[in-house]
Order: sequence, then structure tokens, then C-alpha cells
Amino acid sequence: MICRQYQLDDKIMKTNDPMRLWQSEKGLVEVDKGALVLGIRLDDELKGYVLHGHGRLILDTIVETKDGAIGKPIEKEITEPLLMLGATEETQRHLVTATDEDLAEKGYGNQKEFAANAEKLFERFLGKERIHGGGYCGVPNGIVFAFAGKDHDLEILVADGAKIVYKAPDMVFVAERNRVLMKRPDHTILMNGRGSFIFGE
Amino acid sequence: MAEDLKEEMRKLKEEMASLKDQLKSMSEGEHRGRGLYIDIGNPMRGYVDDVMQGVAEGVHGELEKSIFIGPQGVRILRGQPFRQEEQERVDFAKTAEAMSALGHEHRLKILNELMGGGRYINELQEKLSEITTSTLSSHLKVLEEAGLVVQEKVRGRYLITIPGRTAYKMAQQVARFLERRNGE
Repeated sequence: MICRQYQLDDKIMKTNDPMRLWQSEKGLVEVDKGALVLGIRLDDELKGYVLHGHGRLILDTIVETKDGAIGKPIEKEITEPLLMLGATEETQRHLVTATDEDLAEKGYGNQKEFAANAEKLFERFLGKERIHGGGYCGVPNGIVFAFAGKDHDLEILVADGAKIVYKAPDMVFVAERNRVLMKRPDHTILMNGRGSFIFGE
Repeated sequence: MAEDLKEEMRKLKEEMASLKDQLKSMSEGEHRGRGLYIDIGNPMRGYVDDVMQGVAEGVHGELEKSIFIGPQGVRILRGQPFRQEEQERVDFAKTAEAMSALGHEHRLKILNELMGGGRYINELQEKLSEITTSTLSSHLKVLEEAGLVVQEKVRGRYLITIPGRTAYKMAQQVARFLERRNGE
């Protein structure tokens, strides 16, 4: 197995426009203009970013069973840093170099402070060793997000076309078209094209 | 599984026989005044509840082992069996809110449309042309707040929820029952 190490860029950028980082029929992730951005590289190849700015995560964690719909949409304001792997080409086009004023606007005294915060999230996601084994990073053609919550747990969203995996401290949601698994503290729902199965509630 | 159910039935019969014996001995031993006095107070009710709960848990355990996804869906309640105390704990405010949400012809028409699947607001508007756009929106808000309808945030479709579907069917049944009664 080949082990390679991720690195964070030195140069801090910012989003020049409001950006929709991901969108599908089930959800979206977007950040406002002025979000701070630091690139993530693997063997000098840009693989993703750590972003810090105001944004939104919307996910329709609703399951349509033959008995009716169950679940409700998740709508979260993003204020903490988030990590994103994938979709770098599209994102790169909307980035410009960040100034000290941009950093100050987000509460950072200097570039090192933001870099340290980005490192913290980066290590929470990948571990201190930052080692990746295998031939590719993230999901081929897909996108991976890690959202820093107030507690230690990260919220993870993996999306690849119609496939979505979302894991938060209080729920797991896996969907691919009409096949869905949703686990919440009080119930679990399994659904495929033929029917559904609900435990608990 | 059939064998296990037979076993549960056998246990139930045994419990029933035991209950009969207890009732018999109680009726023979206790006479107050002119009538027969049988005390089936709290201890007895608790016993019956426990027996029924035991049987329910046994059957539930069996069902849980076999996952079957049928065309109409399958549901298993994991909570405790419904008891008298739970009936007394009904949230009347919540019940009134749900009933109030149902209590409008337009809202029943909206639910009826949603029984056929998720709909965008313009689709509902097209089907329910007698309702103005602003009234339709406020009706949908009432249904959403009562938990009978949910709206997708990304696509914007409105979907009827499981409680919504149940409430709508219940309302239909009540209406049919009353119609039959009035016709008699």
C-alpha cells in the first residue's frame, strides 16, 4: 500500500462570490462571499479546501414511504470551519487572495491563526498522521464535507451523484434514489423500491 | 416462527387458566353484603397487563428477527403496549391542533391531493383552482405546523406525512360513519 501525506497550502484565499459548493435533489451546501479558504494538497495536487465563512447546509432527510413521509429537512447555518474534498476545479475559479482585513473580519489576528484553526479541523478529520493509503483521495467524481460542530463530533456528508451519506451525532442518513436508510435516536427506517420498514418510533 | 407462536399461545392458555383459578378462589373467599364482591383492583390489573406485555414482547421479538419489506410497508412498535395511563396522558392541545388543521374543507382537499404523492405548489394550485395562491400557502402552513404535511427545502415539494395520511383517513371514516348514521 502506498501511503501519502496531505498538506495544507500556505496561501490563504477567499471566495469572491457566494458559492454553491454542492447541490443535488436532496440538499445543498453553500458559502457566502468572503469565506476564507486554504487548499489541501496530496502530492502537490489540489484535492480540497478548508473553508471558514458564513454558509448553509440544507438536506432533505425525508423518506417517502407508502404510508406517508417521515423525517424533516435539516437546515443549518454554517459558522464554524468546514473541510471539503473534491470539486476543486469549479471552486478554484471563484477564489482570490485574502487580505489581512478579510482575516480580521472573521476574527483572525493574522494568517497563522487561521492556518492553525484549519490544521485543527484537518487533523480531526484525517488524524495527526495525515496519511492516506490508496490510489485516490475522497470519492471519485464525488465530494466529501466535514463540518466542525461545537462538540467534538464532526458531521460528515459524502455525495456522489444521487448517492448521499450524512452522519451527524444524532442521525445517519444514507440515500440512493428510492433506497434509503435513516437512523435517528427514536427510530430507524429502511426503504427500497418495494416497500419500507420502520423500527421504533 | 409458527412453532414459536404456538408456544406463545400455549403459555397464554396456561396464564389464562391460572387467572381463572385465581378469580374463582377470590370469588369464593370474598362476600360483602348481598352481592358477590370480586376485587380485581390494581394488583390484578397489573398482573393482566404484565401477562399481555410478556406475550406482546414475545411476538415482537419474533417479528424483529424476520425483516420483511412488503409492498405496503411494515411497522413494528418498539414501545411499551398501550395502557390506560397512556390514554390519560394524551396531549389535548396537540390533539386539538391536529383536529383543527383538519377542520377546513380546503385543507382536506389539499391532503386529498397529497395522498397521490408529493406536489409542487403550482401543481396544487392547478388542481385546486378555487383556492387563491395566498390562501393555499396559509393552509399549507397550518398543515405543516400540525405535522400533517412536510415541505422539501431543496425541491420545494409538499408531502403528506404518516400522521397526515392517518388523520385524513380517520376523518374520511368518521364522515362515512356519520353519513350512514344520518341516512338511517
